[in-house]
Amino acid sequence: MKLMHTKLTEFVQRMVDAARLSAPEKKLNISGMENVRTAKLQSLRTGRIANAVKEIAEDDDVESIEFIICPRCPETMHTVIVKGIGKEGKGNKAIVETVDMLVPTEDIYLVDCEQVVDRRPMMSVYTDVEVKDGETQVQAGA
Amino acid sequence: MVKLKYKLVPNGSAEGKMPLNVALVNLKDVKVCGLTPEKACAAIAKSLDGPTAINIFDMEAVTTTSDGIMVDSAIVAMAASDRGKIHREYGFVPMAEIEYDDELIAIEPHLKQWDTNYKGRRLYRGPDVADKKIPVHNVAISGRACNNNSGTEMMDLVTMGEVLMPYIGQKEIMADGEVAIGLTGEIISVAIGMTVKEKFGRVFSTRRYRAGDTAHGSKEMAKTLKAEIPCIAASKRVHAGYIIKALQAGMVPGRDIGCAPAVLAIAKIMGFPINVENITEMAQAELDSIGFTADWMREKAEKHLTAEEVLARADEIVPGIVGMEVCKASELAEIRYAEIP
Repeated sequence: MKLMHTKLTEFVQRMVDAARLSAPEKKLNISGMENVRTAKLQSLRTGRIANAVKEIAEDDDVESIEFIICPRCPETMHTVIVKGIGKEGKGNKAIVETVDMLVPTEDIYLVDCEQVVDRRPMMSVYTDVEVKDGETQVQAGA
Repeated sequence: MVKLKYKLVPNGSAEGKMPLNVALVNLKDVKVCGLTPEKACAAIAKSLDGPTAINIFDMEAVTTTSDGIMVDSAIVAMAASDRGKIHREYGFVPMAEIEYDDELIAIEPHLKQWDTNYKGRRLYRGPDVADKKIPVHNVAISGRACNNNSGTEMMDLVTMGEVLMPYIGQKEIMADGEVAIGLTGEIISVAIGMTVKEKFGRVFSTRRYRAGDTAHGSKEMAKTLKAEIPCIAASKRVHAGYIIKALQAGMVPGRDIGCAPAVLAIAKIMGFPINVENITEMAQAELDSIGFTADWMREKAEKHLTAEEVLARADEIVPGIVGMEVCKASELAEIRYAEIP
């Protein structure tokens, strides 16, 4: 169960529900996923994030909620497909390339916040290998 | 109270060419303050509000430029900061010290200059992949600030303004020499791609593009890709001096060092060999597009010049930098002091 994943549509709906059920009068604006058409999102994080939406929505000092998804790593690596379409609308030749983008870190969205509660594990939690009880394990980090 | 001295090329300086702050600090001053490089960067970050690239220099070390010319001094750590803070994961990157090894010199022949010209100095270029949190680029990023290619290409990722600060120009700022300010132009746009293969190199972590090859690989397009970027470099006389030193150490463009136009121009006019046959078709196509054809390389110069003559006529001989103006580094960089927490 720990590694189950949530459908993109359900993820968005859960965020909308979390805001609406907590504070129906407060507007929720979601951005950063405009180009994501299909995806499965970590279920464990989905629950925590929905709770974060609830927590922010229930804050008396909050009038509306911004929900922003941006790359965790400020270098994103993309595949580029340059595809030629033939007369009948069918692809006939494609060149596949790669391009990296450098993007700002999350700080640009946080400059006006007096309080920032960072609940992300350090990236090293996903990669540092520890030897425990004679076995090599990778910390899951969920 | 002890304060950390550093040099600042402020955002908006160089007639508006600087898209962010660039802070340069001497490792010796960092040590005087009893700081680690990371804490020194944090102290400098705290002293500045806007997006800032920070480089720490060991003036007793040695480094390589992307085209394989060895230069005394080196950047040993880089950082990026914004609104006084360095990102906890992506904002600071140390450079790897490269151990001297005969096998390494055989694989990376441009390092023969190390023996000839800089024996005993510690060598730094780019970071160890184990220290890199960002997979591909050798870059530090915090907020808007981006310090790329091991501290030589800085950007504001929101305005998307960029400045190229080739290593020798930064060294000149540290040494209170002269700097050349202008735009990159087609020559430098092509030159940027003429790298050498290096493990933990300034631009690439693995040995991807050997001398005589091009990292651009984009034919006529290469001269346009980085042609309109503000550039703060060394004066051509100083740049020429380092190229001459490399050529005199036996470095052959196309075989040991990259085929950057400045290197080719000096090699040809001084009568040093160029390994034309080793230049890849793709690299030659890029060089052709700016007039550095294989025939031009093979033709003997009408008269070979001495090192002194090249240095005296460096502005005329060394190509690159559009609208160049030369000034004292002290007219560009301000001395600042950061409080130590």
